[in-house]
Amino acid sequence: MQIKVEDLDDLSLGAVFLATGGGGDPYVPQLLTAEALKKYGPVDLIAPDDLADDAHVVSIGGVGAPTVSLEMLPSLGEAVKTLEAYEDHVGRKVDAVVSFEIGGGNSLIPLMAAAGRGIPVVDGDGMGRALPEAQMMTYAIAGVCPTPAIAYDYAGNITTFTTKDTATYERHIRALSMVSGGMLTTAEHPMTGAQLKPAIIPGTVSFSVALGKCLRENRGRADQMLPALQKLFAASVYGECRMLFAGKISDKATRIIGGYDIGEATLTPFGGEGSSLVINIKNEYLVAKLDGKVAASVPDLIVIVDYESGTPINAERLRYGQRVAVFAVGCPDFFRTPHALKAVEPRAFGFDMDFVPLEEITV
Amino acid sequence: MRIGIDVGGTHTDAVLLANNEVVASTKALTTADVLTGITNALDTILKETGVSEDQIEAMMIGTTQFTNAVVERRELSTVAAVRIGLPSGAGLPPMVDWPDDIAEALGRHTYMLTGGMLYDGWPMAPLDDGEIDAMIADLVKLGITNVAISSVFSPMNADPEEYVAAKVRAAIPEVRITLSHAMGRLGLMERESAALLNTALLAFADRVVDAFDDAMTTRGLKCPMFVSQNDGTLMNSSFVKQFPALTFASGPTNSLRGACKLTGLSDAIVVDIGGTTSDVGVLEGGFPRESNVVISVGGVRTNFRMPDIMAVGLGGGSLVSADGKTIGPQSVGHRLVTEGLVFGGNTLTATDLIVGSGAVDIGDKSGLSAVSTETIANGIATIHQMLDRAIDMMKPNSDPVPIILVGGGAVLVTGNLKAASVLHRPENAGVANAIGAAIAQIGGESERLVSYSTLPRDQAIKAVTDEAIGRAVEAGADASTVRVAEIDETAIPYMDEGNTRVRVKVIGDIAVLGAGAASATSLDIASVQEQS
Repeated sequence: MQIKVEDLDDLSLGAVFLATGGGGDPYVPQLLTAEALKKYGPVDLIAPDDLADDAHVVSIGGVGAPTVSLEMLPSLGEAVKTLEAYEDHVGRKVDAVVSFEIGGGNSLIPLMAAAGRGIPVVDGDGMGRALPEAQMMTYAIAGVCPTPAIAYDYAGNITTFTTKDTATYERHIRALSMVSGGMLTTAEHPMTGAQLKPAIIPGTVSFSVALGKCLRENRGRADQMLPALQKLFAASVYGECRMLFAGKISDKATRIIGGYDIGEATLTPFGGEGSSLVINIKNEYLVAKLDGKVAASVPDLIVIVDYESGTPINAERLRYGQRVAVFAVGCPDFFRTPHALKAVEPRAFGFDMDFVPLEEITV
Repeated sequence: MRIGIDVGGTHTDAVLLANNEVVASTKALTTADVLTGITNALDTILKETGVSEDQIEAMMIGTTQFTNAVVERRELSTVAAVRIGLPSGAGLPPMVDWPDDIAEALGRHTYMLTGGMLYDGWPMAPLDDGEIDAMIADLVKLGITNVAISSVFSPMNADPEEYVAAKVRAAIPEVRITLSHAMGRLGLMERESAALLNTALLAFADRVVDAFDDAMTTRGLKCPMFVSQNDGTLMNSSFVKQFPALTFASGPTNSLRGACKLTGLSDAIVVDIGGTTSDVGVLEGGFPRESNVVISVGGVRTNFRMPDIMAVGLGGGSLVSADGKTIGPQSVGHRLVTEGLVFGGNTLTATDLIVGSGAVDIGDKSGLSAVSTETIANGIATIHQMLDRAIDMMKPNSDPVPIILVGGGAVLVTGNLKAASVLHRPENAGVANAIGAAIAQIGGESERLVSYSTLPRDQAIKAVTDEAIGRAVEAGADASTVRVAEIDETAIPYMDEGNTRVRVKVIGDIAVLGAGAASATSLDIASVQEQS
């Protein structure tokens, strides 16, 4: 499969759905990726299983505050130059690049690097959604060392990292981004093909295109698009998809604590009668409770869409009075081992509760 | 006394207000030159009332001319787009996401220069005089005299924009310039596009304002003239000549503000029913609730302040299915008077249903002989269900809310609306836009990204507020009456605590009229017909 300019609208729309409220607006990255694909041609998508075991793959994407990129725009050459700087640093060529986060704009950055260098992008990513911290990535959970890594800033300044573990790397890169205009492009978590295969959520790039296409073709009331979504998710690494709620945002309060947009949104049914749904937010939508009872929780996906059009709504854009529907989607199997859950379960976000898989919750 | 005028696509409405009461109103057809329509409306109003010209203290005009110019790609000047921001944004030049026809109407002259700021005030790159001079030499060579200048994070630090503007002015004395930071909000591409549209309209704005002045001179009016902005406030004529793009979407805003004035309600839902659509908007504190999504004007993404309006395909000319259970979104529009059944036509429309129900008497009822009473009953129920649903979706919470019906199609509502606590049908609702223009005050707005850890919150808010007040005074407000209308603080994710986007909106009375001459908070309530 190839990713062409015509696929980008669907890819971005699917990526915003999978971003579960976080991940940043892919509008600007999409414009830039379109320029890159126009200039260099389409990008080959390679299935993880088709990678040679000794292939050298590096994950590439943006780290920092997506809000900043509304002013300090990314530039066309950044992703390629990041990749080149990485190759200079490690002294070898990269065979393929991979996304670390399919949710939001980071689904697109690897495409720009791959287009510029004529190498493939691996069909898959390290989250299957959006998550706020690097140690929540499947690559890190599977034991891949985050470094050698490099960070490339707006002015072409290059910083290299040799760091023992991903949590420490996350602290360092976050601090660097603050003094680099708020946004960096990184090449990190290098892997061999053999390391990558068990460490990746497979197929998420092509799935994101299919999901965007499904949302576009079934655009309209959320309850009417549900069957098409359920069919699509059932045949994917995700599985279950259900509509938790339809109603209005009757309250939303968040505030920034330690760089995270933390708070909750309350939804009441249209007409006002019946149970209300409360969604806990920490950049992404993490826990949904119906009348105090958990209806879905991270790492399962909680997605808020505009009720009338089915368009996913970012947490930053969520506001009082919006008419919305809430979908919940089961997480990929990767996250279901006790080891993986430790990194992404509700407790990893400070919620005093266990993860209950969506399919075990009866409504 | 004040005169309010609304120049719409079809009609030019005028109202005369004395002590904030509607004394007279008129509807004239909008003429191709706009000016004749305005003078016709002025003539009617002054003649009807016998009011002398020197009794008029101010004239307020709401106009769609600038929006229409952009939508129809008319009257747009050639503009150079200058962005200061390299090395960031390389590969994303100004107008990159514009429709081709409008980008070509402006000429696609884009210049990207090094410079700009980071979010924390650190310079992105030094300005390069050689680069700036080469750009200016090119403008001179091409004979370009309209320039839009934007710079990364200019709402926080406009020095790079000012520096380049000064050099351009020195080289091209007759140049017209818009600096993006004066257009407001964060979001470089949208702010830059807003500045570009504004610059493209500057020459047209001169002609429009001069035409308004001519119309007033011809009628012997010596009072000051103001034009409506998209947020429901006014700007004086010198401000309009600098910022014509701020008139975008002033029509729906004036309709909401007029409905507020007509009922005395500051918090309500306003349903403006026309021939093809019903526009549902929300009054919050006497002003329209703003949309928080990116708004496209003529296909160009901008960050203008726009009212949050939900359009439903239901109007007087909407087509009705044979069983009456489906209405719209297709409409016969202005052909209602020939195609509707009661007008001798062959199309069942929403207006026919209302005539059939006996609620109003328009046209010839005998045209409805083939329409069953069941169809009429179903149709009436459908109209109310459609509006109820739209209103329910716009309501801020589940409590019933006062509803104000305006527009020519307001007769479609014959019964109660479930979502309504009370239903208001104010007199003069047909000229709500002109009333909204006439009662408006002067506003100013400013937005900045601040860090509460380096600048304490109260000082930061004061700094932004002072800037907003400065803008209101520049637009014609009496500084002693300016008050804060809204403070909006948004924290920025993935950054240190305290990094906050602060936006302040202020409102004041018109300076030339003196304090208290027209306060939106102290209006007398006009006569209101109320249905419980």
